Amino acid sequence: MSDHSFNSSAAPVRSRLVVQGEFEVSNDPGIVLTTLLGSCVATCLCDPAAGVGGMNHFLLASHDGGAGANERYGSYAMEVLINGLLKLGARKSRLEAKIFGGATMAGRMGRIGEANCAFARDYLDTEKIPLVSSSLGGDRARRLRYVPVTGQAQMLFVAEAVPAARAAAAPVGDVDLF
Amino acid sequence: MSLKILAIDDSRTIREMLRMCLARAGFDVHTAEDGVAGLDCLDAVDPDVVITDINMPRLDGFGVITAIRENAERTALPILVLTTESAQDLKQRARESGVTGWVVKPFDDVKLIAAIRRIAST
Repeated sequence: MSDHSFNSSAAPVRSRLVVQGEFEVSNDPGIVLTTLLGSCVATCLCDPAAGVGGMNHFLLASHDGGAGANERYGSYAMEVLINGLLKLGARKSRLEAKIFGGATMAGRMGRIGEANCAFARDYLDTEKIPLVSSSLGGDRARRLRYVPVTGQAQMLFVAEAVPAARAAAAPVGDVDLF
Repeated sequence: MSLKILAIDDSRTIREMLRMCLARAGFDVHTAEDGVAGLDCLDAVDPDVVITDINMPRLDGFGVITAIRENAERTALPILVLTTESAQDLKQRARESGVTGWVVKPFDDVKLIAAIRRIAST
């Protein structure tokens, strides 16, 4: 994609790694978010007007959307990212998305990458968050750098080994009655 | 008569998930996209249970809870918070505002339905 590149004169200096199951948000112009993706998908969201952005990194539990578990966990991964951005002053109506990953890695977990891509696309479509750029699927790992305050992304296909993704670990929230 | 549920959440994905899950359990489900819309349809829906998110535009979940409890006819209306937030200070604030329960996303269908039935019957 044409806009997966940085303006080198404004290169941020400190990087934060976003590992599977985690998310990061920032309004600090000196921060770049990084991750390494195989089957997992990273959603990058930015409100350029507020100078706030962030990234999540998730892998849904199964490739067949078993009993709504995928949707519940995936929407949770998206919502915690969005809520983190709103707390830093972003508006949902101004968010722009870039999504990456979802590769089919040799010998691992079948076509789960495709299910992750489909979920991310559907979620953004349902929530009316414009998808401005993406690089999804294929059979190669991706290294991603994302500047949260501007929404600039840089993605490279890499040959290096990606840590084995952990699937089927979707959390379930507590219920407290007072 | 089925229990009437008003579910308030700014995520369309969550609203649709709740609608499917709760309708399958036999509830009459109504949804609203934020706190203002939720309060606007409160009289028309006259729900047995309100489920509300916390982080929403225009009016957040705490605003919804306060407005409902300020109405003398709704001091006992069961309200469940359904949120990604799990911080104890928020939970305590909600409890002091008169919330009936707190459910952390991602929610489990069976536990959510059981919680709704329990608070609606007390």
